Amino acid sequence: MPIDLRAKRRHLLTAAGAVAGLSLSPAWLRQARAQSSGGTLTVALSTNPITCDPINMSSHDTQIISQTIWENLVEFDIDGVLKPQLAKSLPTISEDKLTYSFELRDDVTFQNGQKLTAEDVKYSFEYTIDPAHKASRGSLFNRLSHVEVDSPTKLRVILKTPYSPWTAFLTKFMGIWPKGSRELVGDDGFRLKPVGLGTGPGIFEEWKPNDYVSLTKNPNYWQKGLPHWDRLVVKVVPEDATRIAYLVSGNADIIGAPPPREFARLKSRPKLQAQSTPTDGGWCFMLQNNAKPPFDDVNFRLAVAHAVDRKTIAEKIYYGLVEASPVPAPASSWWFDKQAADSLDYNLDKARAYLAKSKYQGDAATFELLTSAEAYLLDTNDCAVFLQAELAKIGIKVVLKKAAFAVVNPQVFRGDYQASIGNFMSPGEPTYMITVSCTPNQFLSKATNFDSPKVAELLKVAFAEEDRAKLKTVHAELQRELAAQSPLTWFGFFASANVWRDRVKGFKPSKGLTINVRNVSVE
Amino acid sequence: MAALFLRRAGLSLLSLLLVSLVLFVLTRSIPDSPARIVLGEDATAAAMAQFDRDHGLDRPILVQYGRWLEGIVLHGDLGTSFTTGLRMNRQVAATLPVTLELVIVAFAVSIVISLALGTLAAVLRDSVVDYGARLIAVLGVSVPGFWLAIVLIIFFAVDRDWFPPGGIAPLAKDWREHLRSIALPSFCLGVFYMAVLTRMTRSSLLDVLGLDYMRTARASGLRAGRVLAYALRNALVPVVTIAGMSFGHMFGWALIIEQVFNIDGLSRALLTAIQMRDYAMVQAVVMVFTFVFVIANLCADMLNASLNPRLASPA
Repeated sequence: MPIDLRAKRRHLLTAAGAVAGLSLSPAWLRQARAQSSGGTLTVALSTNPITCDPINMSSHDTQIISQTIWENLVEFDIDGVLKPQLAKSLPTISEDKLTYSFELRDDVTFQNGQKLTAEDVKYSFEYTIDPAHKASRGSLFNRLSHVEVDSPTKLRVILKTPYSPWTAFLTKFMGIWPKGSRELVGDDGFRLKPVGLGTGPGIFEEWKPNDYVSLTKNPNYWQKGLPHWDRLVVKVVPEDATRIAYLVSGNADIIGAPPPREFARLKSRPKLQAQSTPTDGGWCFMLQNNAKPPFDDVNFRLAVAHAVDRKTIAEKIYYGLVEASPVPAPASSWWFDKQAADSLDYNLDKARAYLAKSKYQGDAATFELLTSAEAYLLDTNDCAVFLQAELAKIGIKVVLKKAAFAVVNPQVFRGDYQASIGNFMSPGEPTYMITVSCTPNQFLSKATNFDSPKVAELLKVAFAEEDRAKLKTVHAELQRELAAQSPLTWFGFFASANVWRDRVKGFKPSKGLTINVRNVSVE
Repeated sequence: MAALFLRRAGLSLLSLLLVSLVLFVLTRSIPDSPARIVLGEDATAAAMAQFDRDHGLDRPILVQYGRWLEGIVLHGDLGTSFTTGLRMNRQVAATLPVTLELVIVAFAVSIVISLALGTLAAVLRDSVVDYGARLIAVLGVSVPGFWLAIVLIIFFAVDRDWFPPGGIAPLAKDWREHLRSIALPSFCLGVFYMAVLTRMTRSSLLDVLGLDYMRTARASGLRAGRVLAYALRNALVPVVTIAGMSFGHMFGWALIIEQVFNIDGLSRALLTAIQMRDYAMVQAVVMVFTFVFVIANLCADMLNASLNPRLASPA
């Protein structure tokens, strides 16, 4: 039998009400926090940096840190155009395509006050290409032989074999640092606390792991008047909903990787601006193991390629954040070949005809499609379900298998799978992804098991050519060959998308995916 | 009491050792190498093999375990991250206080509220207060924490700006801001345990209040407050046991709360470490959590023994 305390109930309720009232007093409510801005630009990213060192950066998102601290001889601007950066102009190239001559700007100093010279450039390049230093991005530059210094502002980069794409990798995957600095501060200095080591607009200030990296304005930056911000805070907010809340509540000025589903909604929200631009290197595609049935049959591959409604994938699955393309070239790029793209049009009759010619009919026309449970760059699961429904129309059965990213990746890389939807971001030039997926001894070679001498030959021709008009012909031929072989099924190229508050001025998403804040100001 | 303590402490040490072995084997079973994260998606097999050699990941698992355990036992060294190169001791020291504060605040609030609400519900059985307490308890255990967190962020941070949407403001900078930033996550973290403990307190107290000796106490004219105090002492034994376990569990729940509220605590570091295949960090965090869990249970056992001395004597 309970004790009778009913007489005291009113007092207890009054006391509880008073406690609740005190905790929500007007003084408490008035503590609406002022925006943490002024001269501070806050960028919220989904990815956690593991280093600041540009030669070991693996995530395109977090390259905002290295690209704001360091610079290089040339750069891709936000529209994907290669421009001189620390060099006065784009390099002059020798006839044998093995020597690239640069002249440096003479008004550049490092953040430590030291003047930039050709010796620093030589030192930076030679450090990166030396295998002993184990730069994770060193392989991108392994066709470079050495650097010769002609004067304090003139130098020549000597290549072992012609390889024109190398300049495209510069800004993203390496930087120029003072001669002797690697020995002075060590790898840990570059990785965790690179103060004064770059020529860029931002000087490293602090890194709080799992939380943020902050940079301050370089007052002696060679581009006078830049940057407009006093402090840049790169905040790590992995949760999509929270990242959006940070933006909407004014705790972040720009966010990276907005979820496609939310992108259109955020676009129409007051005080926010959203924009996307197709990347030149963001492959959205289906990896196929060409050594395993049923993808060892070119007719089966072509049946799949013709049965994919890329327009619907781009517009309905990815809400316009993918630019549809059936070939390894964005439709908006200079190297896109319409003839190759038209040869892989969405046509179910053609798809059925190719399937009828293939050796895989009926129950044999089946494959397992591996997808990652977690999104890397873009979520692939809706796309996989759509693909399953599309291929069922022509009689191909797709068995979906979802696993953790950490499980899917090794399985794909060692070729222990049939098909998998993937998203990869390349430096934004036409050859890199084709090289790594369609030539031997590359990181995706075992995944595709596709090795075409014709593709290798065409790539070699492309590497030795600088003239865009001639390159266009080479790339057209390359795309036609790949369209005829269909070793992979391309859906399109994902866009670089950002959402930002309207107090941010001068911002535009970059074709290179990495957020560029060099010219951005905060009101 | 001392014997009980020694017995429990011995068992706790054994648990820690067992957990460390299982943990080490399990983390090494994570597919793919941390090299993939460090060197990037396009790393070659040769570069990855070299990374594994450099970091001793190619050695037999028991050798790796032995070296790791030696570091902890002899030097108090939790290791170094393969992916970031950061020292784990420093990482734990930087993030543990954040999670600890979050858990302690959530735990304290949930204990105070659940004891008050559970007791009121029991003594005012079948009243409005009782129904209200039961409704709160049902809601508390049913509503998913991550959903509640997102709803609270939208309602209080995005639409109204009463609280920040995430992060913990430094205490040293502004204590009011600090309190504001910790309010929503603590509430979300504590609400489930508050509900569980409220139900537990209510039912346990009702059981005790219905026993013969309680009826005798009331019949002998003891004041209601005194009777309640006696009843609570006995009713709290199962509540303390559950509370002790809840304290440990909260570190696990904090993983979701810290992720949603973007709090740089130890629990979130565990999630990041799993995603980045940062073995050293996973091991360090889980060992710290295990230690906290074991200590919390040891404290609960000791407290129970003091509430009910019969528990201290061997069976």
